[in-house]
Amino acid sequence: MTPVDPAAVDLTLGVLQSGTSFLDGLGQFLRLDTLVSVFVEGLAKSAIYVMIAGGLTLIFGLMGVLNFAHGTLTMLGAYVAGVVMVLVVGSATGQIGRVLAFFGALAVVFLLVGGFGSVVEVGLIRKLYDRPPIAQILLTFGVALVLEEAARIVVLFYGLQPTSEWQEALGTKPALLATRHTIGPLSIRGLALFEIAMGVVTVAGIWAFLTRTRYGLFIRAGSEDAEMAEALGIDVRRVFTVVFALGAGIAGIAGAVLMWDQIWGANVPLAAETLLPAFVVVIIGGLGTFRGTVVGALIVGMVDAVTTWWFINVVTWTWLPDVAVFLILVGMLILKPQGLYGVEEVGGH
Amino acid sequence: MTLLEVDGVQTYYGESHILEGVSLEVDEGEVVALVGRNGVGKTTTLRTIMQLTPPREGSVSYRGEELVGLRTHEVADRGVGWIPEDRRIFSQLTVEENVRVAVPDGEDVDATVEFAFETFSELDSHRGRDAGTLSGGQQQMLAIARGLVGENDLLLVDEPSEGLAPQIVADVAQALADAATETTLLLVEQNLPLALDLADRFYVLDNGRVVDDGDASEVSADDERLRRYLSA
Repeated sequence: MTPVDPAAVDLTLGVLQSGTSFLDGLGQFLRLDTLVSVFVEGLAKSAIYVMIAGGLTLIFGLMGVLNFAHGTLTMLGAYVAGVVMVLVVGSATGQIGRVLAFFGALAVVFLLVGGFGSVVEVGLIRKLYDRPPIAQILLTFGVALVLEEAARIVVLFYGLQPTSEWQEALGTKPALLATRHTIGPLSIRGLALFEIAMGVVTVAGIWAFLTRTRYGLFIRAGSEDAEMAEALGIDVRRVFTVVFALGAGIAGIAGAVLMWDQIWGANVPLAAETLLPAFVVVIIGGLGTFRGTVVGALIVGMVDAVTTWWFINVVTWTWLPDVAVFLILVGMLILKPQGLYGVEEVGGH
Repeated sequence: MTLLEVDGVQTYYGESHILEGVSLEVDEGEVVALVGRNGVGKTTTLRTIMQLTPPREGSVSYRGEELVGLRTHEVADRGVGWIPEDRRIFSQLTVEENVRVAVPDGEDVDATVEFAFETFSELDSHRGRDAGTLSGGQQQMLAIARGLVGENDLLLVDEPSEGLAPQIVADVAQALADAATETTLLLVEQNLPLALDLADRFYVLDNGRVVDDGDASEVSADDERLRRYLSA
């Protein structure tokens, strides 16, 4: 047996980046500035996840419809916002002008994607409410496939995206959001702060609409007992159309925010890339509960941020963030299949 | 004046024929009891009037207007309210939200809600609670309050005393008697003394057909005339 030279053994076991030990990584991770930076990145990821999943959980919680076209609506939102921004923003447009143009684009996205959602609900989904859920799943999956292929054709036809990234749309971002900002010992991405703000506004907006408006009250009543709500004079069919349009509009807004993010961007695969985390978030939080979705997004966002930091700085496992998130999902499905705040039955019909 | 006229309605659940030509009338200001054994079609009659289970044949007219073909919320908009047998309060909404949701568009919502809690003062201290945490009697009171704030001219009340303790039944009966001073009631009730005490007239339903009717003052709960249709 050949003796082994201890000095030749790879002490990182192929897992740690060269020149890094686990203890060094842990020490670096536990530094206050690192923890705060990771926390801010976690909040930004959570904000993105809550925006992606918010509309999905609204539609499922209130209508009992699992919308497999949700990611596609996010993709449409990203493209519509990108088109508006590319058309409106020129090289001479200042920072405030770009931000104002973005909020204009958000309004256009919300109206167009929300309007499209209402057409899908009235024209297709409404006919299937009395059928088993698999009919709605297959229908929305079919809508997703058709829309994705249509988007692919349009993108190729117009040469919109010569590479996988639409640089022109990414370039409409104001410099304030495209750079990092130093706050004391911290270096924070401007876009991360913007995403956090957008996530907070989205959550607050949905919550206020559902709990502080008369129409929100109709929606909550109709989702609990559609027949009784109808007998009280509420046009539940119209309420469901509004809910679907609202959910679709929120998905579109999420896409508009992602359009500026280099990691996501406006592209056709965005549909599938956002649908999966959206489902992970709503399953962890509990299908159909908005509070659960917010908590689920925070958990997934923080785990994603922590594991991404470890992947970038310490370990060589590129798949660490995905594995960590899906391990939580699997654990949740084993220990509490209905999720953190889930109920066994949702949907008003 | 005839407020509601049900004429020869035939109602099915799938292939099950439940109402086989039910006809009845309710005049404005009346309390009419609809009595009969379990499963003879009393609840289905109320559901048919509300168009929750529309009839395949026959007519339901309210103030002379045909209701068949309308959607349920359109029936409700015309002033027909429904208090279902299992109350069907929105358990995840608060007590106040349950009342608030029933106030019709165009009414002063806050004033109507305040009036409801003055009338049903026993609910006032529970306003902020989830309605699902109320006792059965409180839920029934809430269901009646919800029916009354709807500004309905006709209330269809299904088994209001079901599952309640005797003292609570007395409170519910009083609430219905008070309601009857403001609105017309079509009351489905297994508790015959209660039904006859409240009602001006009655219909007896058996196997999906009206088999007897008359003035409530003509009969008592133990009359053979009624017992043969009501005993199991």
